[in-house]
Amino acid sequence: MMLQGKTALVTGGRGGIGRAIVARFLREGARVYAADLTPHGSLAAHDDDGSHFVKLDVTQEVDAVAAMAQVNADAGQLDILVNAAGIEIEKTIEETSLEEWNLSFAVNVTGTFLTSKHALPLMRKAARAGTTASIINFGSYDGFIADPGLAAYCATKGAVHALTRAMACDHGPEGIRVNAICPGYVDTPMLQSFFTGEGSGAAGKSIDQLQQAVRDVHPMRTFGTPEDIANLVNWLASDEARYASGQLWVLDGGLSAQVQQMKL
Amino acid sequence: MRLAGKRALVTGGRQGIGRAIAESFANEGATVTICGRGPRPEDLPAQFIWYTLDVTNADAVNELASTTDGTDILVNNAGVQVEKTVTESVDADWDAVIGTNCRGVFNLCRAFIPRMPGGGSIINIGSISGTAADPSMALYNASKAFVHGLTRSIAVDHGPKIRCNAICPGWIETGMLDAAFELADNPTAARRDALNRHATRRFGKPEDIASMAVWLASDEAGFATGQLFTVDGGMTAASPLNPGLF
Repeated sequence: MMLQGKTALVTGGRGGIGRAIVARFLREGARVYAADLTPHGSLAAHDDDGSHFVKLDVTQEVDAVAAMAQVNADAGQLDILVNAAGIEIEKTIEETSLEEWNLSFAVNVTGTFLTSKHALPLMRKAARAGTTASIINFGSYDGFIADPGLAAYCATKGAVHALTRAMACDHGPEGIRVNAICPGYVDTPMLQSFFTGEGSGAAGKSIDQLQQAVRDVHPMRTFGTPEDIANLVNWLASDEARYASGQLWVLDGGLSAQVQQMKL
Repeated sequence: MRLAGKRALVTGGRQGIGRAIAESFANEGATVTICGRGPRPEDLPAQFIWYTLDVTNADAVNELASTTDGTDILVNNAGVQVEKTVTESVDADWDAVIGTNCRGVFNLCRAFIPRMPGGGSIINIGSISGTAADPSMALYNASKAFVHGLTRSIAVDHGPKIRCNAICPGWIETGMLDAAFELADNPTAARRDALNRHATRRFGKPEDIASMAVWLASDEAGFATGQLFTVDGGMTAASPLNPGLF
């Protein structure tokens, strides 16, 4: 029980990766707020998992203020914030409309900014209470290297990486650690959408063929599960990670440790 | 003539990238000395000074530094590549790769830095493989990471007198590349696949690396030091996983 007595809020908490983080935090003894647009998030259905649902559109400042007011009223402080809400527009810049570009930044970057900004007072209270508070942002390996047809997404994740370092510098002295997880290919609704979309250039192949091809490119010969990501989020959230701040944690089965794999 | 009046030394300059750098430097007005393990190449124009040198031999390197009385520009290009994993590598592989790629660069830098004038520029040839791994190239990948680290150390320790940078080439058209494709089951398909992984849709030429080297050697690069400059046609800007190429 690594998070006993801690309060956590996870944005996108009813989505692919967020849901696994919520489940893990609950098992580790935390009080968990799953913040999302709807109770079932990006999934078709949602079983009651013991988390507290908070309606949160991360692009809306009033929602962020209201969510933190609810956490304040219930728990009085916030030890852990995970900014997992994100969207992916599968297009090149030429195909991307201004509205799609703005929406990408609104959710992935502005959402991280707004939720963190309004969580800070509650996280300072947690830090003053004795242990460090921890913010975990969602970057991506796409913030370092590009996937085809994902231009706005790549750009937002690069922005999250820079924001993570800036927040770590600014709020470290207050006892708040800030890190980003940079997942590679993780089995989520977002990944399935990427497989079936035209942007990846993989149209015409079956999902099974695509998934096997993706596995084969990874040194670990598999892509990740949301639980793999939750394992590292849990560590970063815990007091074991009390000296870890300002870093970008790539978790991708070794994918980006290698140069392009030529078919020789 | 961006390098007029400067003296340059290029190791491993018999062919390929080293030879292209030497020729580009000469075209920009530098006096160029080339070193290689064998005798002077018969086709080397008379304007180039040639020394036979084994960079792993510290005494020989020191003697060359003394004979030439230093240089303004030092290019550590000599390198060897062994295509093996850690468990396949034998001691002789270690001696060959680490001896040339690590010890050799160290030998040259140690001998020449004291004899380089202010404004001198060291250019090491690193590799994209020093940052991300090529399969079955364990010692080579590690040796290039050593070059990257040494580059930063020299920049920090020997600035402001000397600038030191590394160029990290990607896939450059040399005999080695052709040999690799010929070993593939389907050489044509392999070449097409590899080209599609480059945003430029072509492989590099030795001249592509040489043009970066000229800039780094010149006074235009007076504020550039301690950095790794990747010239790879955009290959490492893209993910190794490209669903369009399955």
